[in-house]
Amino acid sequence: MAVRRFLGWLLALSVTAALLSAPVWAAEHPYVLHMMVLICIYAIPAVGLNLMLGYSGLVSLGHMGFAGLGAYTAAVLMVDARWSFWSALAAGTVSAGLAGVLIGLICFRFRGHFFMIVTLAFGLLLHAIMNNWDAVTRGAAGFAGIPRPKPIAWGDTVIAFGQLPNFYYLALALTALVFALQYLVVRSNLGRILGAIRQDERLARSRGVNVLMYKTVVFSLGTALAGLGGVLHVSFLRVAAPASFTMLESINTVLIVIIGGAGFLVGPVLGAVVFVALPEGLRLANEWRLVIFGALLVLITLFAPSGLAGLLGRLWARLGAGSKEPGP
Amino acid sequence: MSALQLKGVRKAYGGIVALDGAEFTIAGPGIYGLIGPNGAGKTTLFDAIAGTVTPDAGQVLMGGRDVTGWASHRMAAAGISRTFQECRVLLEETCLDNVLFAAQPKGLGATLSQVFTRSNRHRLQLHDEALRLLSLVRLEAYAHAPASVLSFGQRRLLEIVSTFISSPDVFLLDEPASGVNPSLLEVLMDFIQTMYAERPRVFLVVEHNMEFIMSLAQDIIVMHQGRVLERGTPAQVQASPQVLEAYLG
Repeated sequence: MAVRRFLGWLLALSVTAALLSAPVWAAEHPYVLHMMVLICIYAIPAVGLNLMLGYSGLVSLGHMGFAGLGAYTAAVLMVDARWSFWSALAAGTVSAGLAGVLIGLICFRFRGHFFMIVTLAFGLLLHAIMNNWDAVTRGAAGFAGIPRPKPIAWGDTVIAFGQLPNFYYLALALTALVFALQYLVVRSNLGRILGAIRQDERLARSRGVNVLMYKTVVFSLGTALAGLGGVLHVSFLRVAAPASFTMLESINTVLIVIIGGAGFLVGPVLGAVVFVALPEGLRLANEWRLVIFGALLVLITLFAPSGLAGLLGRLWARLGAGSKEPGP
Repeated sequence: MSALQLKGVRKAYGGIVALDGAEFTIAGPGIYGLIGPNGAGKTTLFDAIAGTVTPDAGQVLMGGRDVTGWASHRMAAAGISRTFQECRVLLEETCLDNVLFAAQPKGLGATLSQVFTRSNRHRLQLHDEALRLLSLVRLEAYAHAPASVLSFGQRRLLEIVSTFISSPDVFLLDEPASGVNPSLLEVLMDFIQTMYAERPRVFLVVEHNMEFIMSLAQDIIVMHQGRVLERGTPAQVQASPQVLEAYLG
């Protein structure tokens, strides 16, 4: 037991050290750093979806539509209204969360498969708006000229986010923040209520849970995180394109959560790592990504229904199998 | 002022009338039995009290307050605690967590602030009481095991125990004895009587096991075809020709 705890701390420390020192060890390969930013950009909305899908049992197929809503809100505010990145980031996050409340209240009139189909429809709707509302979103051609955050000056030190390592630290910090928020929510009375809703809605209701209200809360939280990821996404690429927020991207996010391990804290992060790094590592064209992911999904549902996080968790438990408490 | 009162409650599902003007008054604390042949409307009556279904007509009054048509989470907050005929527990949670979840405050403000304060005071306060309740139905050994490892009868006991940790005024137990091993029936009976002795409140129990309900309850309400057919002590009810007729057709 003690050994396992020690190993756990060691692992956490080495991962943190590796992440923090990435700009040093990857100095020769900016490409690696670029990929790590992409992982963060995918992981943030995936954490939001994990709260909904993994912890509350709400499968949304329109998640990236909300990321787009946040991204375009921030883009318009930064480019047309000259807002700073930071206020636009907050505004994008909040507006995606508010849209989550409104759209969630409509979607929660449906359950199960019908709920999924309605979220899919709203995802398509949001994408159609981005793609066609030329006056505001610049349409299918994309919204160019989105700035990176302005440099932060701290006495003599100036942190400029045009430089990849600094933007990487920004993405890493936001991901860490979102991850911490996920931890706080899941390991709290709110997490217990969400788990009860997922396991037995009727029981939760008879125990005094206002199910509609809490579903709306978690949906809004999830979509707000999607919006946050969306703002970071377009600020990194310096352009917002409707193609980044299609139905396919929403389904990819569901795949990230399921392959990584829905209902596990590290699930969405592991999923994002696999999603970004696997095809890149294998030097495959983007079209092959879907083939690989389809095959992976089949394998995971067959052999590891709780995803990579569940698989690793079981291996980890086997490490200390001798000291495991016997079941009653 | 009566603890629980039903006035002319009616509920129809399409052409099937489940409740057809059901009426009764429960004056104060006591263990009340609710019996009747299959399809008499007992569970629908529970659902109407607990807020799972909205009556088409009639009134449900709790402590003199009209609570007709309140949603079930609101009824729970108002002091109704129920179990389900089909038995519902949180299978992934431990037995202890099942009990503690029932007692956890469900308000939005308290819940959201707890995310950041991480205060566990409430859980710690109830921890010993939860373990005591579990031990009363011999589930203490399973306190830290997930509810999914329990047998159906044990889940039933866990569900019943969970309703007692919060402090409601009215308990609705839907067929608590069904599926419970005969050797555990006595444990269950003792448990309900202990809970009643500790704090007398309204216990309304739907039950098909006649021996069980006749020795548990002092006041029996018999339902038939969506109405209250007869009411009285176990002896009176068992001697009633109307009741015999309803049961035997």
